Amino acid sequence: MTLAFRTYKSSRPAISLDAFGRDVARRRAELGITDADMPRNSGTRRTESKKALLKAIKDIGGNW
Amino acid sequence: MTPYRPAFTAALEIFAAVSQNMDAQGIRPPILVGGAAAELYSSGAIATGDFDVVTRQDAFEAALQAHGFIHPSGPGMMTRGWIHPDLQLGFEVVGATLLDGLADLDRVRLFDAANGDQFLTIAPEDLIADRMGQYASGSAPEMLEQARTLFALSKDLDLHYMERRIREETGNDFGVSDLQV
Repeated sequence: MTLAFRTYKSSRPAISLDAFGRDVARRRAELGITDADMPRNSGTRRTESKKALLKAIKDIGGNW
Repeated sequence: MTPYRPAFTAALEIFAAVSQNMDAQGIRPPILVGGAAAELYSSGAIATGDFDVVTRQDAFEAALQAHGFIHPSGPGMMTRGWIHPDLQLGFEVVGATLLDGLADLDRVRLFDAANGDQFLTIAPEDLIADRMGQYASGSAPEMLEQARTLFALSKDLDLHYMERRIREETGNDFGVSDLQV
């Protein structure tokens, strides 16, 4: 039992984000998976709130 | 060296700090869902502009404000989201309950951010099932490929649980076999 939070008790150990990302990146390379295999969201399901938020992020220079 | 883009890791550090802050107040920490979770589980194969979370909205937003986030205002800015002017990213609370209560909360993954704080992320099985549900709705055909890629990249998945969850999210139209290409 991992007690990282007082209000959420996990039966799984915490994972280092950095180590996890490197592990997945290694599998990506082994499997030959590129960014093209992960298509971006088409945006057809975005709520008006979401559209406004993304516009606000772009307005302050956000780029992803 | 981390495979994630700097803005993504910076956002997760803030998310982790906010999570610790909420927990210290006796409020269950938020859970990262949606595109940001897909970015995390794919090691950055997809980039997302905003971070969707499931949590108690008032407490989360108060914590965001304490970390420099502002609520966008102005004509046409009818958003529930919050943005950080320096980090150029945003967060939005998309619900108070993870996948309408169908997801098993014990499967949520706990991550250590680079700043030493921790945060919660939807389980990969539930993220994949959610993608399949969106695909099954007919309005997001790209989600099938996202789900398949996440499936290929994830290890130690509970296939029995994921089969049930995909069936729940897709009205029993799809299952794990649809991920195998």
